[in-house]
Formats: sequence, C-alpha cells, structure tokens
Amino acid sequence: MIEFKQVSKKYPTGQLALYNVNLTLEAGEMVFITGHSGAGKSTLLKLVALLERPSKGEVLIGGRSLNKLGRSQIPNYRRRIGFIFQDPHLLYDRTVFDNIALPLRIAGMSHNEIRRRVQAALDKVGLTGREKTFPLMLSAGEKQRVGIARAMVNKPTIILADEPTGNLDPELAQDIMFTFTQFNELGATVMIASHDHGLVERMKKRTIVLQKVDS
Amino acid sequence: MATPVNKKVAPPRNRASGDNPLSAWFNQQSNAFRFSMERLWFNPMSTWITLTAIAIALSLPTSLHLLLKNLQTLTADKREVPTITVFLKQSISEQQAKDLAELMSNQPEIEQLRVFTRDEAMQEFRKITGFGETLDTLTENPLPHTLIITPRLRLLGDMDIDMDAFSNKLKKYPEVDDVQLDVEWILRLRAILSIAERIVLVVSVLLGLTVLLVVGNTIRLDIENRKDEIRVTRLIGATNSYIRRPFLFGGIWFGLFGGILSLVIVHAALLFLIKPVGELASLYGSTFTLSGVDVLMTLQILLASSLLGVIGAWLAVGRYLWRDE
Repeated sequence: MIEFKQVSKKYPTGQLALYNVNLTLEAGEMVFITGHSGAGKSTLLKLVALLERPSKGEVLIGGRSLNKLGRSQIPNYRRRIGFIFQDPHLLYDRTVFDNIALPLRIAGMSHNEIRRRVQAALDKVGLTGREKTFPLMLSAGEKQRVGIARAMVNKPTIILADEPTGNLDPELAQDIMFTFTQFNELGATVMIASHDHGLVERMKKRTIVLQKVDS
Repeated sequence: MATPVNKKVAPPRNRASGDNPLSAWFNQQSNAFRFSMERLWFNPMSTWITLTAIAIALSLPTSLHLLLKNLQTLTADKREVPTITVFLKQSISEQQAKDLAELMSNQPEIEQLRVFTRDEAMQEFRKITGFGETLDTLTENPLPHTLIITPRLRLLGDMDIDMDAFSNKLKKYPEVDDVQLDVEWILRLRAILSIAERIVLVVSVLLGLTVLLVVGNTIRLDIENRKDEIRVTRLIGATNSYIRRPFLFGGIWFGLFGGILSLVIVHAALLFLIKPVGELASLYGSTFTLSGVDVLMTLQILLASSLLGVIGAWLAVGRYLWRDE
C-alpha cells in the first residue's frame, strides 16, 4: 500500500531529515513511527501526504510512484488521505459542523449527504450535539477530536497522524488511539508518529523506530 | 504484490458517493455562492465602505452619460430642423425648378425637399417687410426660385453625411446659383458633443479601473486574513479553483451591490434635479423632461460592475495563488 524506496530528504536549509529509508506497509496495516524529535517522523508523513517531495528515491502508493503525480493531481490525491496534526488546524470562525464538513464541501457533496456523514463522524469521536459550537469553546482534547473527525469524514484510505496526542492527558490519549484502531479495523491504513513510548507499546502494533541521522 | 493492494485502493469510496461530477460542481458553486454572501456581512462596516467607494466611482460616469444624453435630446428638438437653401439661377422657370426638385429628391442625403417659388418668396417678403407699394413698382420679380432641403441629419444620426461634400454636389447643378447652409450650428454642437462623449469615455475607463482596484484590494485583504484557512483547505485536497471560487463570488457581490448602490445615488440626484429643470424648461416654453436610466442601461451598468468586480477578484486571487505555490 505504502512503499518507501531508498528515500532521502534534505531540506533547503541543509538539514538531512531522512536518509535511505526503505519501508513497506500493507493495506489495512496500522504502524507507529517513533524516534527522537528531529529524527524525521513528521517528514516521513509529509512525504506520504505530498506536503514535501523526496530529495532522492520514491514513495509508492498502491504501486504508483508519487513522483509521477503532477501538481494538478495533488488535490485529488490528498482527498484520499486523512491528515491529523498535533495542532488540529481548525478554522476558528466556523462551527464544528462546518469544520468537519470542509473535505466534503471540497468534494462537492450534497447538503444532505454532508449532514449525514458529519453526524456519523461526530458520533464516532464522541462529540454528538456539539456541531454548532465554535472551536474556541472546546477543550484541547475536543479540538483534537474535531480534527480527527475532519480527517475521517471523507473515509480516506490512508490516515496519517503526526503526534495526535501530543497535548493531551494520558487517558484522552488512550481514547484517541482507540479511535484510530477503530478506523483501522474499518479498513484504513494508519500511520501514527508519536514519541510517547508507553502509549505506543500498549497499543501492540508494528512500530518503526527512526534513528537520528548524523550528517 | 502490488496487484491485490491496487484492488483495495481502486474503489473510489472517498468520492462523493452517488454524486456525479455535474452535481458535485453545482454543489460547490452553491456552497461558494452562499458562503461568500455570508462572508460579505462578517464585517459590515468595511463592506459598506467598499460598496460606497465603488458606488461613487460608478455613479460619476453614469451621471455624466445621462447629462450628455439629456443634452442630445434637448438639441434634437423637432422645431429646430436644420435646412439648406438652394438658390436657382434667375433664368430657371418654375417648371424647370420643379423638375430639378424631383430629380434631386432621390438623393439619399435628402430627407425632405420643397420648392419655394419666386411668387411665394415675393409674398413672404412683402409680408415681412411691408414694402408692398415699393415692390409693386417693379416690373419683374427679382427673386429666384429656391429649393428648401431638409438633410438627413440628426444630432445622434447614424447617417453621418458630409455636409461640405453635399453642398458642393448641389452647386454643380447648372441650374443652381448658390447654396446656403443653415446647419453650421448643429455641426458645431455635434463636434462639441462628440468631444464630451470622449471625455465621458475616458472618465468611465478611469473610474472603471478604480472599481477594479478597489475590489482587487478588498479581496487581497480578505485573502491575507484567510491565509490559514487557505492553507488548511489545501492540505485536505482543495483545488485552486475551489479556493478561488468564493473570492470570485465575493468580487461579483462587490461589483453588483456597488452597481445597485450607484443607481440609487444617480436616481436620487435625478429626483433632486427634476423640479428646477422642469421650471427652466417651462420658461423656454419647452416640454423637455429629464430622461433617467432606462432598463437596458440599468442592466448594462450592473453587468459591467459585476464584471469589473469579478476581474478585480480574479487578479487578486490569481496573484496570490501564483505566488503561494
């Protein structure tokens, strides 16, 4: 499903984030990426979401190289990916409903379909009844869950999460990880970057440790 | 190994299920339509200021155009028909004059032609001057036959005829002694009005450009305020046209509402002027009334202002998207 072939990434600042990474993920797999900060966890996810391009090597998704994807095809490709950030990047001038509905509106879904799907997503992350709330009135954990709902609502085949539990207390973190497991059980391929070793170990999933590159 | 993997990816389950591209497009349009309309009133104060600026910029060329149009209808008054007088040679008989008139009247430049015989001329002269007795002493009528020609000449005439060439043509007839043009004043006025028309055009272009810049700048500021939003929507798969769309609608709203407001301003100004203009006209014994903005012109103004708005918005967003990629 996701394949890294001798991927290196060097930023224009000269920082070498990834060096010669080879990695294969099966469809429907759930993996954790761990490693010290600066080991390139975020970069790895960004390469899959095409937020960055590799300096060397290639990333294949479903057998197709992302290097061959032109600029005009990126939006369509990203719609198949749900990306969750440490800071959920919500739009603060819009309600929870409108935030979650954003990917569906981009896809041009009908209003009824959007309503149905957003309700389902809210239900899954346990925020039923909060659709008219604005993000500023939510706690950190709730904001993160809105971010997750937004990433899920379009039923993506790949879910990428970059430190999704970074700011949350352990109990909430555990909750959110279970939400990811549920999505994984529904068939999505899930990649989660996290430096919380305890949490990662408890999840009992395949774990990939990135070593910091000495450049 | 890639094959079974492919199968899992292939079903487009992330697509809007059951939505064909056309209805997806329609949904996107209607979303952008609604969203941009709501967005306009997020900050009502700055929106009103922008709309007023656009309205003032638009109402100036509109009122100048109206002024010109009114001047033209005023001078096109039916009582002031311009004429050409053709004096025939003394030796020409009345029958010859009538034949010539018939021959001439086929010419395209001539709207109307009347033979004014020397007897009629004498009677008129007698009436006007009161030299009846003196004139009786003349054995022969010294006045020539004349032809009174009304040329096809309108102030806004599309049949623009060259008066000099026409009068030269008339002079070439052997029967003609002299040609007197009584149309110079109208030609001068036409020249002045055509200069005024150009001025209105220049002013319109400049103020149209102003509208373009005002809308462009407003949209640019709006984009600056919503940079984060644009970044986030990009991350979740928004195309450039999706990002552009609400701003383009925003530009249309600014243009359209600005245009409507400018029409309100122009109408208010007309109402303000109607009474004194009516009084002035009645002093001149004229039934002239101010003509306002008709339906066609209203539509033209609204179309033009919306177009300016959308172009301004397009330029602003285009610049941003181009720079940001």
